[in-house]
Amino acid sequence: MNLEQLLADTDIALQAIQQQALPDIKQAKDWQTKYRILMQLGKQLPPLPEKMKQQELLVKGCESRAWLLHYHDKKQDKHFFVLDSEARIVKGLMAIMLCLVNGMSSSELAKFNLNQQFDELHLKPYLSQSRGNGLTAMAARIKACSSAK
Amino acid sequence: MFDVSTFRRQFAFFRHHHDWVYLDNAATMHKPDAVTEAVTGFYQQNNSNVHRGAHSLSQQATTQFEQARHTIARYINAQHDHEVIFTSGATAGLNQLAFGLMHTVLKPGDRILLTQLEHHANIVPWQLHCQRHGVIIDVVPLNNERQLDLNAYQQLLALKPKLVSFSHISNVLGHIQPVQQMVTLAKAAGAITVVDGAQGVVYQQPDMQQLDCDFYVFSGHKLYGPTGIGVLYGKTPWLEQLTPLYGGGEMIDSVSFVNTTFNTLPFRLEAGTPNIAGVIGLAAAINWLQQYNNTQIIEHKSLLLNAFFQGARQIKGIAILSMPVHNAGIVALNVDGEHPSDVADILNQQQVAVRAGQHCAMPLFDYLALSGAVRVAFAAYNTLDDVNQCLLALEQAVEILTA
Repeated sequence: MNLEQLLADTDIALQAIQQQALPDIKQAKDWQTKYRILMQLGKQLPPLPEKMKQQELLVKGCESRAWLLHYHDKKQDKHFFVLDSEARIVKGLMAIMLCLVNGMSSSELAKFNLNQQFDELHLKPYLSQSRGNGLTAMAARIKACSSAK
Repeated sequence: MFDVSTFRRQFAFFRHHHDWVYLDNAATMHKPDAVTEAVTGFYQQNNSNVHRGAHSLSQQATTQFEQARHTIARYINAQHDHEVIFTSGATAGLNQLAFGLMHTVLKPGDRILLTQLEHHANIVPWQLHCQRHGVIIDVVPLNNERQLDLNAYQQLLALKPKLVSFSHISNVLGHIQPVQQMVTLAKAAGAITVVDGAQGVVYQQPDMQQLDCDFYVFSGHKLYGPTGIGVLYGKTPWLEQLTPLYGGGEMIDSVSFVNTTFNTLPFRLEAGTPNIAGVIGLAAAINWLQQYNNTQIIEHKSLLLNAFFQGARQIKGIAILSMPVHNAGIVALNVDGEHPSDVADILNQQQVAVRAGQHCAMPLFDYLALSGAVRVAFAAYNTLDDVNQCLLALEQAVEILTA
């Protein structure tokens, strides 16, 4: 799969997640429901091919590894991403992060407040967890993309 | 008969947290009141620096501190109190050993022998210094039961390693290594013996004179004691040959810019103000623990372990890596095809505390060709109810993950 196709497919998947899954997550009554949704999200994203899992894309958690590919469309000033992770729940949570920032401009990305968004989705405890799950590292990586060349 | 409910009631954590099933005991254990009270009591009543004050408060603190050393030396049956060196933990002990033996004892071209299932703390310190000093590291492989391959061990001993360092109990699998036999074989081959007792010390009271190893390290917090305190035990002649890793106060005899001479044991290896409250807390843990019969504790833990094995084997989709025999109470497992952190995450939602990942033993996981595992580690204060709740939580994890 070429990079353009991968970015386009991920873009479509992230848009779908934003429209359908976010309201479901917000309304989930119990953690089981929330987890079932999170695990579906991971499956909706196209996987990053093994040969593209380069060291510089690696975002390390203590327990599992994740990869973030970033593409900045400079003409339109829009940021796009491709995500993969070994762990499914973490991948679902990262997919939510990404669907919130997907297609943002550099200045929007720089201003983006992930904590607030996760708070509204009742997912904030996952951000305050120790480095274990790699979510805070992923959030920092996404944020850094706003100033990437 | 060991009464787990009486035992458990002595832990403030469990009195306050009825809702948690704590099975991350191989990472750290909870502390009984006897320990927290000893630590608080020291700070509230006796706080002073040791070995240096010109006042009686310091003398009292010193007496209490050295009494604690004596308690620990007796517990592990060291020949002398000064053979108990206080460190910040097992990791610090191994770093002191690797640093302190290099050059004086270990020379370029020498070999040392480690094993495939060591914790990084018993690999990396050796690697750091061996690379710089041209010392070669050999590794004992595992057999099909994921125990150390003793035939291979003997073959590697024939290469005449200067030093052998291995753990008593695998921190991932829980398997108990035949330490006594391994020490005897290593000594017969002329090697210095180092035992990593991080997981072993709580399983079985270590007897230094019987085991006859040259060095033994452990951490206090895995023996009901405080964090930040540990012991490096060594036989006197070997301790005397160690180059101190840290220089500073208390460890010196005289200092000039031309030459510095060192204090006697144990002080020459204990630079700076020690973790006094930690030492007192560790001695309190040992004094407290000694009122219990360890054979009964071992029986209780194997009851838990067997119940867990029985239950876990019936959950479809669970692959158990540990063996139930010669096991100190640790079970590594996976849900087929799932990442261990997902399993641990779902257990956490159900307030079952376990650890997931590679548990600071990457070479072991390379060998097992696995990316990690969930680790369930039982302690004496765990109950059959804990086992059942963990099994239910695992069933739920399998159900959610394979839906």
